[in-house]
Amino acid sequence: MLNDRKASELVTKSMRRALTDEETGLLAQNLTDSKELEAFAKISHKIQISAVEIASLVEQGDRTLGPGLSDEAKDRLRGLIQAAQSGEIDLPELEPGQTQAQENSLKRTTQLPAAGGPFWSRRMVAEQPGAYQGEGDARVGESRYTLIRPLGKGGLGNVWLARDERLKRNVAIKELNAETLASEVSWQRFRREAEITGLLEHPSIVPLYQYGLDKNTGEPFYAMRFVGKRTLADAIIEHHEKIRAGELDDAHLGLHRLLNIFLDICQAIAYAHSRGVMHRDLKPENVALDNFGQVIVLDWGLAKLSEDGELIHHLSRESNLADKALAQTVDGEVVGTPLYMAPEQASGDLDHIDERTDVYGLGGILFSILTGCAPHESSGEGARTNLKEVLKVIAESRSPEPSDYAENVPRQLESICIKSMAFKSHLRYERVSQLSDAVELWLAGQSEKKSRYEDLRMAGRELRADLQSTIRDLETNARFMSRLPPIQELITAEVEQDVAVWRERLTTIYTGLLTAKSDYQTISYCRIEAGLCTEIVRVERHSTDHSNIRPVPRSRLRQIKTNSFLETVIQQKPEEVLTSLVCDNDSEPEENCFGDEAVHLVAAVPVYDQNTEEPYGVVLIDCDIDRVMRRQVSQHATTCEIVIACDIHQVMMRSHFGHVVEDSISKRVEEETPHFCQAVSALEHHLEFIDETNAEIYGARLWLTTSRHGVMYLLRSERNKNRA
Amino acid sequence: MFLSLAPGKETKAKALLRMSNNPSSAPDLQAAALPPDQWVDQYGDYLYRYAHSRLRDANAAEEVLQETFLAGIRHVDQYAGRGSQRGWLLGILKRKIIDHVRLRAKHAQARSYEDEPDPTLHLFDAQGNWKKDAFRWSPQPDEQIQEVEFRQILQSCLDELPETQRTVFQRSVMDEKDSEEICKELNITPSNLWVRMHRARLGLAKCVETKWLKEKESLGHAE
Repeated sequence: MLNDRKASELVTKSMRRALTDEETGLLAQNLTDSKELEAFAKISHKIQISAVEIASLVEQGDRTLGPGLSDEAKDRLRGLIQAAQSGEIDLPELEPGQTQAQENSLKRTTQLPAAGGPFWSRRMVAEQPGAYQGEGDARVGESRYTLIRPLGKGGLGNVWLARDERLKRNVAIKELNAETLASEVSWQRFRREAEITGLLEHPSIVPLYQYGLDKNTGEPFYAMRFVGKRTLADAIIEHHEKIRAGELDDAHLGLHRLLNIFLDICQAIAYAHSRGVMHRDLKPENVALDNFGQVIVLDWGLAKLSEDGELIHHLSRESNLADKALAQTVDGEVVGTPLYMAPEQASGDLDHIDERTDVYGLGGILFSILTGCAPHESSGEGARTNLKEVLKVIAESRSPEPSDYAENVPRQLESICIKSMAFKSHLRYERVSQLSDAVELWLAGQSEKKSRYEDLRMAGRELRADLQSTIRDLETNARFMSRLPPIQELITAEVEQDVAVWRERLTTIYTGLLTAKSDYQTISYCRIEAGLCTEIVRVERHSTDHSNIRPVPRSRLRQIKTNSFLETVIQQKPEEVLTSLVCDNDSEPEENCFGDEAVHLVAAVPVYDQNTEEPYGVVLIDCDIDRVMRRQVSQHATTCEIVIACDIHQVMMRSHFGHVVEDSISKRVEEETPHFCQAVSALEHHLEFIDETNAEIYGARLWLTTSRHGVMYLLRSERNKNRA
Repeated sequence: MFLSLAPGKETKAKALLRMSNNPSSAPDLQAAALPPDQWVDQYGDYLYRYAHSRLRDANAAEEVLQETFLAGIRHVDQYAGRGSQRGWLLGILKRKIIDHVRLRAKHAQARSYEDEPDPTLHLFDAQGNWKKDAFRWSPQPDEQIQEVEFRQILQSCLDELPETQRTVFQRSVMDEKDSEEICKELNITPSNLWVRMHRARLGLAKCVETKWLKEKESLGHAE
């Protein structure tokens, strides 16, 4: 005799006529003895008949078995058919009879163009009663979300913009995509992601509102704050487009903004580490930026929980996946993009994945900020299109360095990046806070440095303006000295007595000028004739006793051959002043000039005979530029290194902390101060060089009036002089 | 009686039912190959009722109908006109329903059948004996069972049945599929199918009985 449970099983079996003779006998005996079994058998039989009848009636089109399509549903279907016929949505490529998974995958791609239209806009997500609500979430019941449009597609799931009809607000809904729906591990990863995200409460970690199963499909979803579509990846692309477009001021500001975002990410990851969670899939695409400066770290689907962390005990049994299962898809491929992957991840060395793996990921983000490229972007180049080969390259090659990918990467930031992405994890920053401190320090230093650089620029501009003023004054005086009455009288004087009188008068005036202008070394009036320059009056300052100003006796006046400078001057129109740098040997500072000879700043103006209106001679004022420069560096350049050079890159003056380095004179800039080379090169074509990258060097150039020569001022902040 | 109701005879019974219940209900649509923009009005309700009877879910029924129409438009040139266009679309719909069921079954695999609602717990004691009043169904010989009423009750009980159990019941009884085919479709073992089927029958029987008795009771009060 069977017990009742076994007997009831025979009733079920009998419905398929699957009983053996022995079982038929046993069932008959039990039916006699048990009223319950008999009742169950009778009702099951009736159900069987009725179910077949229902199936048949439905197939015949009986209308009594339930309502047909609602008018709304008909409208939606008509809209769909219309859209399909007009080509607005792509039709499935596969033959009828394809699997649902295949069809689903098509549906997901075809629904995107129609998103927001009558067909998809009404698609609802409703939680199943009793579904997991997230820790601390007491909300239960019938909250419903209307999907509005797709926001993005990831490896694990799709994200939709949706409307929370209950709270009347927009949210983001994440659901598994068609490819992952069939994988049990994906379901577990999805739930795990939701639980971990829900357990992490931080301003820069996306708040999770609800996790549940769709009432209609049974598929899992979770609702979270909608933070917009813009990600850090978008911001990085925009920043580097500005750099390429030459918008340097914007780019400078952009770098600071990106680094502040980076610090927010560091804060979020440091918080997660404090709770025993490693993100392990850090990349710019997983950082959302809202319009109000909020930085949100997304996608915790690959997170690893530390064995001794507190959160591991809060996960549900289903979510507590083994790490190996988590890191692998059902197809056995490594999850996540390899572009930002640490070597230990790429090699599958799961035992060595710890907080420093995230430090590497953060370093990767910093790398991307600095270069506009992902760290392993070139790892897939050439023949290495296979993922395994790319991973092998990452696992075995040295980590990339920012300067391999981009120019003008700030050196200190590059060092921080390189340390974060060290191939061997023990060489990286031990904690995320150390990395963020380093970046923060750089930013703070930049602020101070920026202020210092502004001072440097101001000093450079003042130096140039000071020399400009000196030259303008020199030219004015030269012009005035050429218009004095004795100048013409000396041309026309015929008797010696008259010449003596006018020479004396002119000497007196010139002496007065030299007395007033301590930088002026000599002033002379010369006749230019037949290739010779003959001095008529000359007053000079003593070479060692600076206060000693003396007229040169007639017997000591010189007669020299005219040089190219004087020949140019004599060809000028009246009162046209030429200013130039001239060597001791009266030549201009060309290749044959400068050795141990001093350089002079000379202003010269032609003198015309008022009677004949023909050029007669020149008035020359020789300014002691060495004295001018020494005064300048002592006044303006006490906190920086300064090099003053002439056009041919010859160092005219070099100083540290306002003190002149005497042995540097007459050397070339490139030899003496190679760190100024970039500035010297830029000043060939520009009046100013601004060091946008490192804010350390400033250069300014002054063109001398009507001369092809000029003076360069090169300044470098002394605080950074040893960091080149 | 019920012991003799086997799959082969079910088919015959269904054919007889089709003829006797509504001999003129199948319109001759063989020659009418309608353009897709008329499908909703002409076939929408029919196909929807079919899908709903199998999926017991309005949204899912609408979704497979959408997929059916899209596939129909895509392959409209494959309709040779040998049968009715409605029948051709029904064929596509049936495949879509199977695909839909198969996919949902895949998701359900994360849970073993031991986790599913088990009506035996409510009907049997620990020794496997019927609990008191487990079943009381005993229609009198002269009792007229209203077929329409019974079908309505059965349909509402199908709605309440756990999906995994309902699916095997529908595929087995209503679609007359053999066990091997169902196991393949749902990727389950024969023993798993058997357990689900038994639970489905027990659950349905209990649900139908309860509702039937309740209805009779309310009718008695009304009288």
